[in-house]
Parts: sequence; structure tokens; C-alpha cells
Amino acid sequence: MTNNKTYILGERALVLEITQDTLSQYQQKKIFALHAWMRAQRVFIDIVPAKTTITGYLMHSQDPEYWLAKLQDAWENIEPEAYEPTIHTIITHYGKHHGPDLQSVANLTGLTESQVVELHSECKYQVKFLGFLPGFAYLGDLNPQLHLPRLDSPRTHVPRGSVAIAQDLTAVYPSESPGGWRLIGRTDTILFDHNLDSPSILQPGDIVKFVPSTEGIC
Amino acid sequence: MLTILKSGIQTCIQDLGRIGFRHLGVSQSGVLDPLAAKCANILLNNPQNTPVLEITVGLCRFKFEKPTNFAITGADLCAELSGQKLTAGWRYHANAGDILTFATSKTGLRAYFAVQNGFSSLRPIMNSYSTDIQAEFGGLTGTALEDGDLLDYPSHSALSPIGAALPEYTESLRVILGPHLDILPKDNQQSLLEQLWRVLPQSNRMGVRLSNDLDLTHNKSVASQGVSPGTIQLPPNGEPIVLLNDCQTTGGYPIIAQVIDADLRHLSQLSAGQACRFVAVDRAEALHAQIKQSQHLAQLEIAVQHHNKKNS
Repeated sequence: MTNNKTYILGERALVLEITQDTLSQYQQKKIFALHAWMRAQRVFIDIVPAKTTITGYLMHSQDPEYWLAKLQDAWENIEPEAYEPTIHTIITHYGKHHGPDLQSVANLTGLTESQVVELHSECKYQVKFLGFLPGFAYLGDLNPQLHLPRLDSPRTHVPRGSVAIAQDLTAVYPSESPGGWRLIGRTDTILFDHNLDSPSILQPGDIVKFVPSTEGIC
Repeated sequence: MLTILKSGIQTCIQDLGRIGFRHLGVSQSGVLDPLAAKCANILLNNPQNTPVLEITVGLCRFKFEKPTNFAITGADLCAELSGQKLTAGWRYHANAGDILTFATSKTGLRAYFAVQNGFSSLRPIMNSYSTDIQAEFGGLTGTALEDGDLLDYPSHSALSPIGAALPEYTESLRVILGPHLDILPKDNQQSLLEQLWRVLPQSNRMGVRLSNDLDLTHNKSVASQGVSPGTIQLPPNGEPIVLLNDCQTTGGYPIIAQVIDADLRHLSQLSAGQACRFVAVDRAEALHAQIKQSQHLAQLEIAVQHHNKKNS
């Protein structure tokens, strides 16, 4: 289980990388447990989990080798159960003007629109990591029947709250932005509010469930 | 009040940046030249993290509605106070009604402007006053300043003038080699470090885009991972991007090197068409450069305090 490497990026960034294309659920939970361990050390000013890595930015650059060894050691000994996720429910309006790509997603996957909605909303997703925009959470794993590449030409304006899919992931756009994911619905839930002490509802490791709104198309 | 009569190309409120929120996808933001911003604040006896105005290109005009002391640092953008020429790296006194103008410069790109005790009309977002232009929060209204904007500050009587020389900006950027450099053939790795790079016009606070005749195109991708200001990514088109303060928190292009913290400030002055080069160093040298900069600031702080005592 120790197919990982650790290295120092620049002066202060410590990187732990799992050398696989995707993480197993066991490894993913270990990453979140490691995130919590890193926070507790109080030497990192920022800790950024990503697809198969976690990067800790040291406050000072005096002793990165020491902390790199501690990080490797912590990874080997950490228990995935040390991590307890928060669960969120996101009410979603699927299709029509809320999800302008629902019909094309159905056509491309050979499913009906209701089947797409069902497949998207029947399972629980894990927040793998956040990035791209403040509060933009990469949620996985999407049902393989819904895997489609990003749009050939990204939209210049994706409305806030848009529920979207791309490849093996789904996400909610926390603010209006350009974007190339396929839009299948929209939520009124505010995901990111910069005025709050804890500005993002979704944190790495959280669990998300999409629930179709009753006035939806299904 | 400071009235922004003309906001110029891009004038925005920045402090030393927003830290502790990268895991939520929040960019660092903050001044591109921390040494210049800290120096401006030290000249005014301000805490070093006091928000300042970062002026890109120049072409702006401000009006002091109250007397205060101010400092300008960074590039010399030919600033004038009511028609009188100012020198970058100095603190000055402005009377009510004085007009501060920044023209522009062929060699420098960004200047920093600070007032004594800082601007009083601002509210921190996630522990920082920095404007996050992409995400539209922080600063005054989440955007670069606009004509007619007002920034309040406390009145102050005149302090004696004092100036400080900052270490020069250079075109050479010391880097620590990155984890994915080996996607390039050996001779290309060498050329990357030997050749001059030209800054492309698409550069901004998110990153400086570079180009030259070297063909570094590739088809390697890496899983997206944490990136930060100074990270040098190499997209498949072979044109490196040096990420700056407004960069996203994760990136999926191969990382070929990381500019050392002490040299990030040089990137604040690189405008389109200018050149830069990379010089590989080890972590010991990076740490040494950082300590040297801290010492420079500590000495300046002592000198300013001494000057203030002598002249009070």
C-alpha cells in the first residue's frame, strides 16, 4: 500500500503523491486523515489535497527535510478511520433552463433524461478536493454511464449554482464563471460566501447527495 | 479621503495576501512585490502587512482630501505630487488638495503606494484586505479601483522626508528545479536554463507567460496538484507559465521549477516583450536569499526609527 513518494517543491511545499491514476477509497480516506494530522501540527500555513497528492506549505523554510520525513511517517501509520465526514444534501432542479445540457447528455449516453437524473442523484459523492474557483468542489465518483468529456468549447458564462458533470466527476459552480462542464441542473444552495468565517460549505472529504427538487421534470 | 480621479490600467488594494484558505480554492492574492510593499509601510511606521495600492502600468491620478504622509516604492512610474517630481523609495507629505499622478515607464511595470496608518475604510475578507480580482471580493468592492472611488485615511501632520534604496530588480530569476522536469529531454532541460525568455502580452497577476525559439512542446499530463506563486508550469504548447499571486490553487500542467521566494518580486516588473532567465539554485541558497531580505528590512526599520527620533 506504500506506492507513494514525497518531495519538496521549491522551498516550503511538501508533497505526498500516491503514484496511481486514481485513489482507492481506502487511500482517499487516508489522505483526509493525513490532512487532519497536518493541520494539527501547526507548521503548515496551507494544506491542499488534490487528485492524487496532498501539498503542505510550511510557514518557515528552515527545516523542510525534517517535516518531509514526519509526513512520510505519518502517512504510513495513519488510520483512515481517523476521518469523519460531514454529509450535505443539495436540492437540485434538473433540466430545462436549469440544466441546458441534460438533453444532449441523455442523447450522448443513450439514456432518457429521467435516467440521467436518476443515475446522478442516486449515489453519494465525496469531495475529493477544491480548486478552480473558491468553493468549487470536485465530487466523485460519477456513475460510469454518465462519463463524457468536457464541452469542445467552454461557455463564457455558467450561472452560479449550476450542477455539472465532466469525465468521472460532478460539481456545482459556486459563482458565475466561464466553464466547460456539461450543465444538467441548478441549485439554490449557496456554496461559497466570502463574508463567512468558514466561507465554503463543502470541505475536502465531505459527502454530498443531490436530491431532485419536486417541481423538477421527473 | 483619497479620491481616485483616474484609476489607470489596474490599481488595486493588496496586502501580503490571503493565507489558510487554499484548500477551499481561494487564491493567495496579495502584492506581487512584498519587499516593496513592506518597505513602503516601514517608511511610514506602519505594520508591514498594511494594505497598499498596487499600481500596474500607471496612468492614474489621485487627490488627497486631507493631509497625510505617503510613500511610493517599486518601479519608478514617474510620479508627481502637484507637479513636483517624486522619487521611488521615499516618503513624502501631501497637503489637502494635492494631486498625485503616476505616468508610466518603459522599464518598470508596478509601483506601490502607501499612506500613514493605512486606509481606514476597508473590511478584511478571510483575514486579508487583498483584492481577489478573479473571485471578486476583498479590497474596496472586489474589483480594481475605479474612477471616483474614495478611500478614507487618518490625517497626519508632516514627517520629515526619508528614503530607502531597494535591491535592484533583475532579469535573472533563481529557481529550484521541479518534480516533472524529466518530461523534457536532457538537452532541453539545459537549454531551458540557458536561454532568455520573452514575456508574452497575455501575462497578468495570475501568471507570466513566456516564449522563445526553443521547442519544448510535449504531450505529458500530470494529475492536478497544489500550485503556488512562483510555480513554473509547462503546458503542452511548450511555453512556460510562471504562476503569480492570483493563480488557482491547483494545476494540472507539469511543474518544471519553482522561483525562489526572494526572487518573486522581480516578476512584478516584467511587462510584455521584456526578457528573463532562470538560474538553478539549491534550497540553501534560497534560504540565504530570504534571510538577506529579512535583514534588509530589519535594518531599514531601525534606520527609520532612528531618523524619526532624531527629527521629532
